[in-house]
Amino acid sequence: MLLVLSEDHKEHLSFLPKVDTAVVGEFGRIALEFLKKGTTPKIYEGAARKLCVPVEMVQHGVEGLMYLMTESSKHMISEVDFLDSVLVLGFVEELNQILLQLYLQHQSQIRSVLSLLPSNLPAYHNVEWRLDVQLASRSVRQQAIPMLSLRLLLMRGCDSCIDHSSRVLQTDPSTLLHLISTLEAALAAMKTSHTRRILRNIK
Amino acid sequence: MELSESVQRGLQSLADPSAFDQTSFPALVDVSFQSLLSSHGDPAVLDQPQLKQIDQILLKQSHAAAVTLILEAVKQNADKSTVSSCLEELTFSAERIEIFCGTYQRHKKELEHLLTSIGTQPPRVNDVSWRLQYHMKNGQLDKVNEPFYLISLNTETKGTPEDINFTCTVEQLQDLVGKLKDAAKSVEKASQM
Repeated sequence: MLLVLSEDHKEHLSFLPKVDTAVVGEFGRIALEFLKKGTTPKIYEGAARKLCVPVEMVQHGVEGLMYLMTESSKHMISEVDFLDSVLVLGFVEELNQILLQLYLQHQSQIRSVLSLLPSNLPAYHNVEWRLDVQLASRSVRQQAIPMLSLRLLLMRGCDSCIDHSSRVLQTDPSTLLHLISTLEAALAAMKTSHTRRILRNIK
Repeated sequence: MELSESVQRGLQSLADPSAFDQTSFPALVDVSFQSLLSSHGDPAVLDQPQLKQIDQILLKQSHAAAVTLILEAVKQNADKSTVSSCLEELTFSAERIEIFCGTYQRHKKELEHLLTSIGTQPPRVNDVSWRLQYHMKNGQLDKVNEPFYLISLNTETKGTPEDINFTCTVEQLQDLVGKLKDAAKSVEKASQM
């Protein structure tokens, strides 16, 4: 699969051959940093001053790289396809190799950042439990009610903005056994031939 | 059982055959249990034909006293003999003690349950539902191809249902089930002590 680069995108990246390859490497580093932690416009200004070019040019260059990296990682394109895709940019071979190394080195990291984007539901993080026996309360003395207190830790969001939340819940021993058997059935569903067939065939 | 003076007075008039006769006594006893168990404080509970001829103020005092005695007895987990000796002190006849204690025995469990439900509690988990999904791709990512579970814990807080939804991978679900099993094991151990 080849990437189709838009005219704007090509124009933004056309800034790269004009600078030293070390600078391209530096731009790549910045682009990946931004993908992980968000952008900081100050860095664009600093780089623009050093290179004596307009801020927009640097910004477009870095953002163009970010887009190139995320699109390639999104489709998980192969090494050959990556090189063929950037061919249209008309860069020298050395620059293409730098871009390829950048892509190969950071592909899995970019994918893990991207994978956190669409999850709007909180994800399981941990569960803590405690066995309690309720002995008395204001309205009834002399009780002996076994209770399981649970603290369910959930998290949502991506690396830089992970939002942990916890819920304290309670359940009685018989419901606990019911929960276990229901969830074991859920795990068993993974092992059925139906599920395995689908997992095998959709790759 | 310690009862306040006004409760004692209310119960004494309930014991008095000239205030409550053969038919109105069992009617009031029934009404007192009913007002705790089924009528949720509805004042119309006292509108019974057997209770019509009784002085309304006296009726309310005795009703309040009977309800207080019942609640106090259940709270202290009082058995039949404790309740009957308490009623004896308040000059109830043997026949009336029998009627009262019989009804008390019948409803004790139910009342205990009711009183236990009073107070603050974290949400209770009643059930769980799950769905196994295969995540193939999304707007940001192609070829994700990972199975995952959507779990929904059905909880209840004072009758208000709430679902807690979250996702987990197969490994995370194994972790969750493993921890719940640990908990179940320790419950079992504790129950054998």
